[in-house]
Amino acid sequence: MFKRIKEAFKKFIESASSIIFSREKLESLIDELKLELVASDVAYEVAEEISSRLLKAVDEGLVRSREDLQRVLKNILIEVFEKAGSVDLLSVARANKPCKLVFLGVNGVGKTTTIAKIAVLLRDNGFKPLMVAADTFRAGAQEQLKIHSERTGIPVFTGKYGSDPASVAFDAIQFASSRGFDALLIDTAGRMHVDIDLVNELKKVVRVVKPHFKILVVDALTGNDAIEQARFFNEAVGVDGVIVTKVDAYEQGGVPLSIAYILGKPVIYAGVGQGYKDLKPFNVYEYVNRILPDLES
Amino acid sequence: MEMVFENLKESIAKFFRSEKYEEAVNEFIKDLQKELVKSDVNLNLAFEITKKIKERALTQEPPVGVSRKEWFLSIVYEELVKLLGGDSKPSIKPARKPWIIMLVGLQGSGKTTTAAKLAYFYKLEGYKVGLVAADTFRPAAYDQLRQLGEQIGVPVYGDPSIEDAVEIASRGVKYFVEKGFEVVIIDTAGRHHKEEDLLEEMRLISSSVKPDEIILVIDGSIGQQAYNIAKKFHETTPIGSIIVTKLDGTAKGGGALSAVAATGAPIKFVGLGEKVEDFEVFKPSKLVGRVLGYGDIEGLVERV
Ligand SMILES: Nc1nc2c(ncn2[C@@H]2O[C@H](COP(=O)(O)OP(=O)(O)OP(=O)(O)O)[C@@H](O)[C@H]2O)c(=O)[nH]1
Ligand SMILES: Nc1nc2c(ncn2[C@@H]2O[C@H](COP(=O)(O)OP(=O)(O)OP(=O)(O)O)[C@@H](O)[C@H]2O)c(=O)[nH]1
Ligand SMILES: [Mg+2]
Ligand SMILES: [Mg+2]
Repeated sequence: MFKRIKEAFKKFIESASSIIFSREKLESLIDELKLELVASDVAYEVAEEISSRLLKAVDEGLVRSREDLQRVLKNILIEVFEKAGSVDLLSVARANKPCKLVFLGVNGVGKTTTIAKIAVLLRDNGFKPLMVAADTFRAGAQEQLKIHSERTGIPVFTGKYGSDPASVAFDAIQFASSRGFDALLIDTAGRMHVDIDLVNELKKVVRVVKPHFKILVVDALTGNDAIEQARFFNEAVGVDGVIVTKVDAYEQGGVPLSIAYILGKPVIYAGVGQGYKDLKPFNVYEYVNRILPDLES
Repeated sequence: MEMVFENLKESIAKFFRSEKYEEAVNEFIKDLQKELVKSDVNLNLAFEITKKIKERALTQEPPVGVSRKEWFLSIVYEELVKLLGGDSKPSIKPARKPWIIMLVGLQGSGKTTTAAKLAYFYKLEGYKVGLVAADTFRPAAYDQLRQLGEQIGVPVYGDPSIEDAVEIASRGVKYFVEKGFEVVIIDTAGRHHKEEDLLEEMRLISSSVKPDEIILVIDGSIGQQAYNIAKKFHETTPIGSIIVTKLDGTAKGGGALSAVAATGAPIKFVGLGEKVEDFEVFKPSKLVGRVLGYGDIEGLVERV
């Protein structure tokens, strides 16, 4: 996974090692690194921040060897992810029964599919999950979740097309509490983060549901817009954690790094295919070790 | 959005203030590269375009009566528009009847929605249009297209009990052609460039129905991968045109520009929302303006 960023860092460290005492040359290499990061879909703004932190370390005299360079880089990245913290979704679910999870994001990123995957994960861990089809807008959205329900054997609560998503969610909560469901996974219609009416509709869902955890779903193939999506949704309703999907289509992407930096919220899972088991916990240290070459220090 | 606008405006102002032409060009080229990659234009492509612009700016002469600096900006615009296949309107009229269109693209890019938009567009143009639901992979893909077909009053051919997409596609096309339909639009499953089985399926559908036009549907927010992905699709089944979706968001659409460069296919339509009417014939200058974050670039060029 994430091969391209790794190549970028590797190339940088190798070229920088031989010119480590020339600030001028180092600066231009750092500039190159910035573009290489952007070419790996690290958002421009984030790539700029990483390179300026690196340059600052150079100016503070912290970079005198190849090992220093590796350490400084690693620290910069780890700091981004540590600030974002980490969350174990299963613990959240255990601590809040019934646990209410709301999934949100722009159109077509993989919310509905991810709900089915998380529902399977919860069931495999002893929960009794209920999927809630609160996307009453998009053609086929109800049937899509129904088919996931048939295939996984996990029940789904559906609503009528055109009805108020908040009231579907509300009814589902009543239904769940009388039937002993201990986890609700609430699907929402995809929406653009700048569509005021639809964002207000989402706010209403969140007000009514009072979720324990709000999951933003982001497509790994997204370019610079990933951070706009993250910012807007976070401002509108608050985001507690992120799932990056379609990592199978784009393994080397910088989206997790950009999101963690911009939101200061953890990436919790990566979607790696269209099957129910195609979901991997996102491990920060693994990620950082993967994108930085040969770091034993 | 506003920020980028300000950035380029500032670059342009700086450019006009600068004393030395060559220095000013170099500075501006640097800023332009930055704006392009921020808009998700593929990095190599951004370097290529800016190199070309620089070369022209430093070796060619402006026409009489036009200042060198104003002329330079028009070169920038021209080269970007050229990349998008020039400023002429794309031909959207079917060259013959029946006209068979096949939509392909990544998962979730907007194919099914776009199939309905396109059907609605041609219906309003007076054609007899049919839709074929050949996505046998995504849960409820058929229901989605059927419901959209009902909304716009266009018949949908499909059979959720058949698992073979090639079979549905060829049956559907045959069904509509025999009934004298003039435009037939085939929706297919989402797939990506590493899914060899699904790419093979796409190849088989194409060789069995022999579409007149294969359209790549691409998400306007896609990043640096757009170039490689579009190229892979193009190598699998030649892409005739491109539709860029979801431009109602904040994405700048530079990825779509890379897809054009990778396939040589023109963008014909853009999607500007979820509803069937949120659909427009593409205008290159508009996307260039968006990628540059400079809304009125056309006005600027006209002034030159
Ligand atoms: N390759 C791959 N495809 C995925 C992944 N996650 C979702 N998809 C596919 O992406 C497409 C869109 O997924 P959905 O779950 O419908 O997305 P959504 O966000 O619910 O879409 P809307 O509700 O329309 O906004 C489907 O074809 C999914 O099968 C993933 O991790 N990898
Ligand atoms: N905002 C906006 N949403 C769009 C646009 N075009 C499509 N969508 C939405 O994007 C999501 C995915 O669209 P689909 O048509 O299901 O995409 P698809 O490519 O058929 O997806 P798969 O069949 O799963 O590969 C849906 O929520 C659509 O409503 C657009 O131009 N703007
Ligand atoms: Mg959905
Ligand atoms: Mg579809």
